[in-house]
Amino acid sequence: MPITAGIDVGTGAIKIAVFDVQGDRETCLAKRVDRLRQRDPLKTAELMYDEVLTSAGLKRADIAYCATTGEGEALEFHTGHFYSMTTHARGAIYLRPESRVALDTGALHGRAIRMDDRGKVLNYKMTSQCASGSGQFLENIARYLGIAQDEIGSLSKQADNPEKVSGICAVLAETDVINMVSRGITAPNILKGIHESMADRLAKLLKTIGGLDGAIQMTGGLALDAGLVEAMKEAMVREKVNVPIETHPDAIFAGAIGAALWGAFRHDKLTRMAEAA
Amino acid sequence: MLDKPKPTTADIVKKCEDLFTDLSFAAAREWKEEKPGRIVVGFLPYYAPRELVHAAGGLPLGIFGGGDQLEVIHGDAYYQSYICRIPRSTIELGVTGRLDFVDGMMFPSICDVIRNLSGMWKIMFPTKGSRYIDLPHNFVDDLGGEFYRSELKETCDWLSGMTGRPITDDAIRASIAVFNENRRLIREIYQLRSDQPWNVPSSELYVLLRAGMVIPVEDHNRILREYLDSVREQTRPMKDNSRVVICGMFCEQPPLNLIKSIELSGCYIVDDDFILVTRWENSDVRLEGDPLANLASAYLHDSKSTPPKYEPDEAKKGLYLVDSVRKNRAEGVIFAMTSFCDPGLLERPILQSVLKKHGIPQIAFKYAENSGQMQPIREQAGTFADSIKLWSGA
Repeated sequence: MPITAGIDVGTGAIKIAVFDVQGDRETCLAKRVDRLRQRDPLKTAELMYDEVLTSAGLKRADIAYCATTGEGEALEFHTGHFYSMTTHARGAIYLRPESRVALDTGALHGRAIRMDDRGKVLNYKMTSQCASGSGQFLENIARYLGIAQDEIGSLSKQADNPEKVSGICAVLAETDVINMVSRGITAPNILKGIHESMADRLAKLLKTIGGLDGAIQMTGGLALDAGLVEAMKEAMVREKVNVPIETHPDAIFAGAIGAALWGAFRHDKLTRMAEAA
Repeated sequence: MLDKPKPTTADIVKKCEDLFTDLSFAAAREWKEEKPGRIVVGFLPYYAPRELVHAAGGLPLGIFGGGDQLEVIHGDAYYQSYICRIPRSTIELGVTGRLDFVDGMMFPSICDVIRNLSGMWKIMFPTKGSRYIDLPHNFVDDLGGEFYRSELKETCDWLSGMTGRPITDDAIRASIAVFNENRRLIREIYQLRSDQPWNVPSSELYVLLRAGMVIPVEDHNRILREYLDSVREQTRPMKDNSRVVICGMFCEQPPLNLIKSIELSGCYIVDDDFILVTRWENSDVRLEGDPLANLASAYLHDSKSTPPKYEPDEAKKGLYLVDSVRKNRAEGVIFAMTSFCDPGLLERPILQSVLKKHGIPQIAFKYAENSGQMQPIREQAGTFADSIKLWSGA
């Protein structure tokens, strides 16, 4: 069985994972995440890919299948491309085998994906094009409030009287936040209010895909935001959905992990097809 | 003397893209101005007897709508909201003077909307020629064949009326020969794409075909040869993409970004119904004997199957798609049809049921020539490609 790589080119960050797959044993050899920070995504991804391989003592030629996901289809050297919900579903199963729903919360969209135990997508729904409820929006708010991104979660958990913001429109939500700042609302209460608003939207998204079962595995960058995870758990109670919300330290790698594992699956399938021909 | 450098694939593709996106039709205007007495005859998708215009010494000019760059202002006033976009943008091209150099227009019998457009054209542009090309729905030689031969003869007379010269049988034979060559070259490119889709992207093939609609066929043949030479010399990386057949783009044209989006989402298009007029006949049209009878016979017995074309044998309906899937080793079919397209959308359920019976995966979506939002299409085509790669077959 092969060594495969998954490259997830996201809107805000690039994630890479390299796996050695031997039958049912899936071993992560290397992984790395790097924020884009105005850099060219494709050049950055290629540079990161070579660095990750070097860190694992590998060369490009050692990779049997290099799978891209997200916006990575334009990378010249990839073997195949998988759509984000396909990879997040598989990544969620890897991170938590009992999960049957992946809630992908990234810089640009939120996606609720229902899958079976193999990671096969059964249904999905995505948030609209509005930026409200996305990681990018949260980053902008953090910038207005003058706080670092990694402080968002812990500050949100300190809230004692959260102020809800518009759950519909990022422009209105940003106006709400400016008004809150001028009214002297504390940063924790503003952040918690935003998290609650985002969680309400995501919880409704989850309900629309139906058949919620097993566990809901949060994936993508916002799965590491403790404030949002807590708000999601509270929203699920409000929505009377009795399925646990889970996160994982490697949740941000779910797309890249899924791509690498589907790459191994596909490599195996192609090998069998070639042998049968 | 230094040899002229060979054009690269990128040069050829850029030139073709410039040609087909030019809604002033500068290349066709220049051609007409080069020699007094030349005529330019427009035609709409999906089929027109271009050989006859060529034999009359004219330039057949494909009028394939306004694409995604033309703002339709006047055209909307002529059609209800439930009508597709190509007749609106064609009217827009006419009323804005972009087709003022075109001497006549041919409208194939593809649907009621285009048939009505031919009548509207007569009223709107009374000094220009307008001809409705009534294609046969009967495929028996002495009925449909005779009918179509007489249609072709009347078309010759219509063209002669514009030039003041009769069209000889020899001239038609010579034109058939040059279009046979055009179709041979296009078949060669299609075969190459089917064999090596990574080396012949469909977005390139599409612009090559579109360019052929606005320039003389002899020039198009040269461009096709240059493309074949150039593309055979290069090797592009092969991807693990799903091989798909596209069905439904036979009339109103897809935005180029739509084809690119399907490819970017992980699909190799290995057969399609782009610009069918360029390869309507499956093999060379015979040169011996009555040329009009030969064109009629090729239409009846050796032409492409497509949703708008009548299939008299119900048992054979849709089997051409199954054949295409098998011949091109495709793994699925994408029905990409124009919104409000009667011939496409009414036929689609029948074709889908045939594919279902043969276990061929499929998806369907609609577009318009000015569709700008590709994300939903990428999403649909991408997940389709994933499902084929991961879950179909072995």
